[in-house]
Amino acid sequence: MDEKIKSVMATVFGMDVSEINENSSPDVIEEWDSLNHMNLIVALEEEFGVEFSEDQIASMLNYKLIKLTLEEL
Amino acid sequence: MMDLKYTEILNENRRLGKQLTSNPPYKISVLSNIVVNQISDVIEYKLRSHNINAIVNLGDYDNIVQDSEKFSQSDAVIVFWELSNLVDGLFYKSHQYDVAQCNALIEKITGEISFVFKNLATTSVVLINKFSSLVFNSSNIRDNMFDTICKQLNAYITDNLPSNFTIIKIDKIIANLSIGSSVDLRYFYSSKALYSIEFFKAYSTFVSPVMLSILGKSKKALIFDCDNTLWKGIVGEDGVDGIELSSGNKNGIYFEEIHNLSQELAKQGIIIGLCSKNNSEDVEEVFAKRTDFSMKREGISIVKVNWNDKANNLREIASELNIGLDSLVFLDDSDFEVNFVSETLPEVSVVRVPDKLYEYPKVFRSQMPLFYNHSRSVEDLSRVSMYKEANERKLVQATFSNLEDYLYSLELKLDIQLNEKTLLPRIAQLTQKTNQFNLTTKRYTETEIDGMLNDGSTKIFSFSLEDKFGGYGTTGLSIVKVKNEKAEIDTFLMSCRVIGREVEIAFLDTIINNLAASGIEQLTARYVKTLKNGQVAEFYELSGFSTVEETENTKLYKLNIGDYKAKEINHISINFE
Repeated sequence: MDEKIKSVMATVFGMDVSEINENSSPDVIEEWDSLNHMNLIVALEEEFGVEFSEDQIASMLNYKLIKLTLEEL
Repeated sequence: MMDLKYTEILNENRRLGKQLTSNPPYKISVLSNIVVNQISDVIEYKLRSHNINAIVNLGDYDNIVQDSEKFSQSDAVIVFWELSNLVDGLFYKSHQYDVAQCNALIEKITGEISFVFKNLATTSVVLINKFSSLVFNSSNIRDNMFDTICKQLNAYITDNLPSNFTIIKIDKIIANLSIGSSVDLRYFYSSKALYSIEFFKAYSTFVSPVMLSILGKSKKALIFDCDNTLWKGIVGEDGVDGIELSSGNKNGIYFEEIHNLSQELAKQGIIIGLCSKNNSEDVEEVFAKRTDFSMKREGISIVKVNWNDKANNLREIASELNIGLDSLVFLDDSDFEVNFVSETLPEVSVVRVPDKLYEYPKVFRSQMPLFYNHSRSVEDLSRVSMYKEANERKLVQATFSNLEDYLYSLELKLDIQLNEKTLLPRIAQLTQKTNQFNLTTKRYTETEIDGMLNDGSTKIFSFSLEDKFGGYGTTGLSIVKVKNEKAEIDTFLMSCRVIGREVEIAFLDTIINNLAASGIEQLTARYVKTLKNGQVAEFYELSGFSTVEETENTKLYKLNIGDYKAKEINHISINFE
């Protein structure tokens, strides 16, 4: 799952997978703005066949929280 | 092809983009009053997969009118006008409208539409969405005000449509997908994004035939296998009278429909041909003897009925017709032939006749847009040009002639507040959220803002904007630090909801006026570059500041307040106590 999340994030932000790590968040990734956050959610939902709630979407603001949210589903 | 996931589209699109850099760019601008950012990659991908170096440029949020001036030189423009967001919350607020309010809105929007028509009159091709009330009104029996507004606006578009415009009936796309799959209401309420990624995939598939046709990529010939493709049965075994090919026979009805649909294509200049492993005499006999066969021999322009392999036959067909293999669509019922041709000639579009024959006409219809001829439909439009010309003359009189007049018509009111404590949370939020129109991008917490409001040396100006249809709320601010007769603009920002209306100029005028009145002589300001604020890089230059120092990411400016020339934006009335 880790690799899949990283690969989705890298694709949405137009980065290399190796640049995505545990600390990836909007603070360190300039491309991670509100529009790209929406794109990221759409991509993750398609990739994992899930649907996040509004609260989950609002909280998934770094790599760890994304992973945690997906594990809880 | 649109079975790809969004991430796959993003990756493929980047790959194709690199591969196509030497092709001439095909620039498409998308103007919208809602958030449609996902459309860019999906449309680019759709066209790039046909070797078109498509580059999509998104206009600013809710700036269709302004952007129609800016982007008229694009190769194609898509006007993605969303009914529900013509006015914030129109889909529920319109229910309370009286006739006068309804007419005022229609007058405003038709004025905007006619201005857009005028600005884009010389653009090679413009697609404009038909307004749709479907998403919000699919269950009501009687039309409500929202439906009425929708109908009236659509009538205006249809009656006044310039010949280079094509209407995109998004109801068809929504119906194909279902309303539930077309929209994502989570993002609608929070981010003004209504449509789902599924919708954008379907939208791109729906509109791409227009661009493909203009760039000469439409299909030109439709080639049929015979047995179980043009009729039910095997003529060599069942005999000429044994095959079923018209509504007079049990399974013939599906084939009769196919014959008539291909006749429809033939009328538009599409070449019909045969490519079949059969005895030539048997096939000729079907045409000669079966009077119930609605496809006629003289309608078939090229025939390869023999025992050679089909890839070879299709190659010969393309070369005899002097068209590319990528102009062919080939229909066959056999998995073997479909796979063989797909693998040998990947340029050919191959369609397998479905096993469930009742689905055959549906599958066939879904392929018909591949043959779309855009110039023909423009010609067809000229038939109605007589009555339209009269309408267009009327239109030119009714519309405002320039952007200035348009901005006047909005009746913009700018309310400016100074050090307004009740706005503290909103002020902090704006500094945290605003990325694009933000000169220094300094983020402040509520506590920090509270400190500034009380330190006696900071002026926080904020504004709320209103037009004749409602308010936008507090959408911009500036923080100015004052020290004796000097001041520095620490923060100057504005929400992207209100750009394109020259509000920032009126706001700056007012701030400088206020500073002058309080005895400030020298003003300094800064532009700090981020990845997102490129659009304001020249803001202070354009406002008459002079550059003092420039490094890679920062520009420092100064202004002698006595030298400042107020721009006096006449279309905005300012209220500042």
